[in-house]
Amino acid sequence: MAFHIKKRKKFLRKALVASTLFALGFLALAVSNFLIQTFLPQASTNAPLLSVLLMALISISTVKPLDKLYAQIFDRYLFKKKSYAHILLMNLADELEVVLDLQELANMVVNTFGEVLQLKTVALLVRASDQEDMEVASAYGWHVSDYRRVRLSRSSPMMALVQASGTHVLVRNQVVQAFSWKEANQLVYDFDLMRASWVIPLFVKSGLSGLLVFSSHKSDRSFDETDFHFFREFGQRISKSIHNAVRVQQLKRLNSELQDSQSQMLQTTKLTAIEQLATGIAHEIHNPLTIISGKAQVLLLQRDKVPLDTRIEEVLKTIVKQTKRAADITRKLLMFSQSSGLSREPLVLSQIIEDTLALVSYQTSLDGIRIVKRLADDVPSFQGNVHELREVFLNLILNAVQALGTEGEIRITLQHVPQDKLIEVRVADTGKGIAPENLDKVFNPFFTTRHSALGLGLFVTKQIIHHYGGSIRAESQAGEGSLFIFRLPLAEIPQAVGSAVPETFSGLI
Amino acid sequence: MKRLMVVDDESEICDFLKLFFEDRDFQVTTAFSGLKALEVLDQVKPHVVLLDIHMPGMDGLSALREIKKKLPDCKVIMVTALETRDKIEEAMRLGADNYITKPLSLEYLERDVREKVTLLAKSGKIMNETL
Repeated sequence: MAFHIKKRKKFLRKALVASTLFALGFLALAVSNFLIQTFLPQASTNAPLLSVLLMALISISTVKPLDKLYAQIFDRYLFKKKSYAHILLMNLADELEVVLDLQELANMVVNTFGEVLQLKTVALLVRASDQEDMEVASAYGWHVSDYRRVRLSRSSPMMALVQASGTHVLVRNQVVQAFSWKEANQLVYDFDLMRASWVIPLFVKSGLSGLLVFSSHKSDRSFDETDFHFFREFGQRISKSIHNAVRVQQLKRLNSELQDSQSQMLQTTKLTAIEQLATGIAHEIHNPLTIISGKAQVLLLQRDKVPLDTRIEEVLKTIVKQTKRAADITRKLLMFSQSSGLSREPLVLSQIIEDTLALVSYQTSLDGIRIVKRLADDVPSFQGNVHELREVFLNLILNAVQALGTEGEIRITLQHVPQDKLIEVRVADTGKGIAPENLDKVFNPFFTTRHSALGLGLFVTKQIIHHYGGSIRAESQAGEGSLFIFRLPLAEIPQAVGSAVPETFSGLI
Repeated sequence: MKRLMVVDDESEICDFLKLFFEDRDFQVTTAFSGLKALEVLDQVKPHVVLLDIHMPGMDGLSALREIKKKLPDCKVIMVTALETRDKIEEAMRLGADNYITKPLSLEYLERDVREKVTLLAKSGKIMNETL
């Protein structure tokens, strides 16, 4: 098929050249006849010979340029030269219209572009989220750690050039120049010598949405005119898809920010609710306790004047002791709820576990729940907020208590994992376990299997742990209890120092 | 006679504190609110005031400010149901001499009140014959 088209194209071109030559010859004949008759009427006998000579001369001198001209007209306007690579890339551009994930889209663009055109490196730069800087979304033939460091500020000379010229730009080391495709094509032969990159600007209506940057061929072949026309067309085709994907990414980011602030809000409102409740309870309970205890103390402290029956004295002492105990519980509840900002300090997690267990010890002893602690003493202190960490332990322990019901065992393990630089905590219970279909839902907000619960405990717990860069997961075998494992990183891993950026891009950073 | 004023909106609390301290030779006046306390302050001129922080109407902190203004030498012990840090800090800043949390330990309270009275006596703020 392609062969036939090629043959027909050649025949058409030849026919056009021949007819043009014929027309030219005829014109030349007419002109020469006219000239001969006007200026040399005496030489009319030689006229046909002269005319033929002239025609032959014109034909010989114009056949080559004419053929070239038609070939160019054919390639550029009538039969656009479409190589297999170009067809592949145009198909890619079509596919990209439905890809909304920026990363996926960028990977597709750079990988296909690089593979199909056999390029050394390709990079797709897009406008980084809210800033005006351009960032590399994906790159081919280039290491991630290198291109992550590339940022192209709006004020960089190259950006100004791209904005102003709108044409292909050739980047050469730190010197930036803009060329029309024709000029650039002249230079393309010593690509490697120049250590240069091509930049195809991707424009949308609202402005520049990205840049497609690539360097020379793997082979010796240089690009030709048609290639540059194609690059331009390809750039136009994909710029809209890229623009859309960037928008989608921005939306996603905003959405996750919204979710974060929502959960943060949930957490603070919840804490404030506990605080208000605790304050109210403490006030309402402490006054009657004061009266009960006070009156008993009055009697006890009068015993040197008014002797007391030993049995009554015992009862009075018990009253004083037990009212103090009741007051201690509300005081602890209050201490738990008082959130004093989110300041971080070095925390001894085993102490926080003990404090939390003390708070639920009454409930657990009443229910006949055994608590087994395995708290390693080589655990380093953790930089965190005491209220947040208390909340985490309280939620997990209460969760275990509620899973057990009236009897069973809660095992709490605290250990240091030095090789991973983290602290691991396991809270296991011997309760009814979590159904497999619910295992990934337990951390969702408002998920609960209990009627009276809000379903925020584990959600808030997860938020706090994530806040510290940690992770939490639940494991459960139906009927064999459940296990919550969370890990908190001890220190921030220092930023890895990236390797050298390819020289070509040194001017971009 | 050592003069003590008890200010608490819970009448039962006022009652047993009155009973307890009268037994220990104190002259005890009770008031159920900050305003009532201020009304009788000039007549009673207490040496020590036990002042509840949480009261309807004029709360303990406002009452404390007024008492210290009227009777700078009077010792004031704040009584609170809660150890809310900010309230206690504010009370201390306003010149409270100590604070005690509910439920009260009467032994501790008696010791503290006597200490305050001794301090006043030493600084000559209370005439020896009145003790």
